[in-house]
Amino acid sequence: MPVLSVLILSHKIKLISNDMKKSFTAIILSSAVLLFTAGCKKSDTPTPEEPTPVYTVPTTYNFANANFADATTRLGMVTEISNLMKNALTGTFDGAKAKAMLTNTNAPFATAAYNTSGIQLNDQFSAAYKIDVLSAIDSLSKVNAVASTTASRGVAGVAASSANAASKYALTSLGVNYAQVFNKGLMGGLITYQIATTMNAAANQTIDNTTLVNGSTALEHAWDLAFGYWGVPIDFPTNKVGAKLWGSYSTQVDDGFKANKILMDAFLKGRAAISAKDKPTIVAQANIILTTMERLTGAAALQEVKEAKESINDNILRNSRVSELYGFVNSIKYNPKRVTTDAQITAMLALFPKSFYDLTLTDVNTIRDAVAKQYNFEDVKDIL
Amino acid sequence: MRKIIYLAVITVSAFILVQSCKKSAGSDDNGTGDKGSSFDRKAMLTNMSTNMIIPAYTAYQATTVTLDAAVTAFNAAPDLAKLSTLQNAFQAAYKQWQSTSIYDFGPAGDVGLRVNTNTYPTDVNQINANVNSGTYNPLLLANLSAKGLPALDYLLFGTGADNTAVLAQYTSDSKAANRKTYLASLTAEMKTNASTVLNAWNGAYKNTFINATGTDVGSSTGQLINQIVYDYETLKNYQVGVPAGVQSMGNTFPQKVEAYYSKISAQLVLLHLQALQNVYLGKDGSGLDDYLVQANAKYNGGSLNDAIKNQFTVAIAKVQTLTDPLSAQITSNPAAVTAVYTELQKLTVLLKTDMTSSLGILITYGDNDGD
Repeated sequence: MPVLSVLILSHKIKLISNDMKKSFTAIILSSAVLLFTAGCKKSDTPTPEEPTPVYTVPTTYNFANANFADATTRLGMVTEISNLMKNALTGTFDGAKAKAMLTNTNAPFATAAYNTSGIQLNDQFSAAYKIDVLSAIDSLSKVNAVASTTASRGVAGVAASSANAASKYALTSLGVNYAQVFNKGLMGGLITYQIATTMNAAANQTIDNTTLVNGSTALEHAWDLAFGYWGVPIDFPTNKVGAKLWGSYSTQVDDGFKANKILMDAFLKGRAAISAKDKPTIVAQANIILTTMERLTGAAALQEVKEAKESINDNILRNSRVSELYGFVNSIKYNPKRVTTDAQITAMLALFPKSFYDLTLTDVNTIRDAVAKQYNFEDVKDIL
Repeated sequence: MRKIIYLAVITVSAFILVQSCKKSAGSDDNGTGDKGSSFDRKAMLTNMSTNMIIPAYTAYQATTVTLDAAVTAFNAAPDLAKLSTLQNAFQAAYKQWQSTSIYDFGPAGDVGLRVNTNTYPTDVNQINANVNSGTYNPLLLANLSAKGLPALDYLLFGTGADNTAVLAQYTSDSKAANRKTYLASLTAEMKTNASTVLNAWNGAYKNTFINATGTDVGSSTGQLINQIVYDYETLKNYQVGVPAGVQSMGNTFPQKVEAYYSKISAQLVLLHLQALQNVYLGKDGSGLDDYLVQANAKYNGGSLNDAIKNQFTVAIAKVQTLTDPLSAQITSNPAAVTAVYTELQKLTVLLKTDMTSSLGILITYGDNDGD
């Protein structure tokens, strides 16, 4: 069984060094191509019950019946909320409007098509994030109310980066930027939650892949939406224009973790396999995406460690970046299929000082090392 | 042994792939290639560490020892003569720092030498809060802008209109005792950090450095070039550009220059740029110039090395038109200062884009421009 050997390899990968890992990734991907590409004559012993379907995996997400418009719309709604949150810098943030945007109530969006789309963000959130998102908005509203105060240790308000007076941040008295906690929470509580839920169902084959609705099966459509949530163009990563949220972060960490290619290949192969009813491949690709999304969160956290270090002597900017770091680590809990345990998440969060103004270099390095160990990035922890 | 097995597996797999299937474009070729691969990087790293890096740390550590001793003497019986001695020791340390800040990787990276030593503009409010409270935690990142050379710059030159007034802050002022303690904490910390880094280089790290001969992200060449370019950008942006208003549409910030209170800013810029030129050339030995020549790096049809050397010369000549106090020149003639910045910017492109791509070195730090 060639598929089995691929799985064994991908398991083994965890035990070996990163350079080796790259090579093995290459082997895995190459092997996958071998298995799934039409025209490969050198097939292994045919499986008696189910012959491996023959089909072509495209190089871009241009499947004829692909439709992920709803995911794209929802990411657009997220952008509008994030933009609205910038008003907290001038004390004009409308928390009630932000909440109305979550449920698409009373035509809150500037983009008219969102208002009439009949879809919303809130019903896509994980149960925990549905609650947490409201408190993030409330926390930002409290800072918004004191936006004319200069933020400093123990004082909530707005302050500028010392390196660039034009870059301003709304921070709580403990130095937390809740616009970032919202943003990173959403990447976990909406996007990762949705992708992981779909991939888990695909791996367990609990979504119908037979009946056509609007030209595609339920599994095809669910897979498309998961791809859409990733937030990349269909010819990614050749073209990176417009990549947002996880699509942006998978690119930012690419020096140390080739998530762009891993995810794109898996989304393409999996989608082709769905249409070809190639179940083992569907399961394999869904599992790759599940594993990669969780590691990607760890990689993004390490990327924020690096950014925090690059602004280490800039109290305000550093606190904002540490808020991003905190937001990523905290967002892991919204992934329904995470391998990370609650205790492990709690332990990582406990490494942050109560006030971000009390952060030391040792704290930053300890957080970095804990995240790197958790997600097996010890060799690349400083370059993600 | 395991490596050999893995290599065999990879080779065989690759062979099978090529043989069996033409459409096997799955392999991940992200290699930038090892350009100028015949260049003896170990010789360059040996030259750099022996003739540039370790001498720089040795000299800098000595200035911190002198500086700390001067504080001790001053604190024991503050007078104008000892203040002057202390100020001279401070200026000597700041000048030596200009050729020491470059190597902020390895041992220096571990202690955060650059940010602990030279975060400016210094935060006068934070310094005064620390002096007034009498408590100071050097580990807090929030104190980075209240320590090191810039904090001393303020404490020794900026706390009074002249030396008599400064001296009073350490004698008759109600917080004089706290201020002396703070002064001593700062110079002791600088001495400790400098000694830690120097000892590491005199110990095992030199060997580590010389033998990490690759060009990947963690390699010595990769780290060295990243830090040279980063440090160069620090010079261009923070010693010149930001105070001259280049990032704020001409709105100048003269008080943001390095060494604002001691008024030696322009001298420091020149020393820093000359130090970077020296590192580029590897002094008289193997340097990045030789590396680029070996890699046959081209720029506009000519030699990239010639272009860089020429631009260093042009930029140094421009920097020599800066006058102290630089803050005053920024106020009186900002155009002259931004003209210097323009020449410095040209060198940035050559170093950061052309040099790194010619050598296959990845710049791993981000632009510090917020989100």
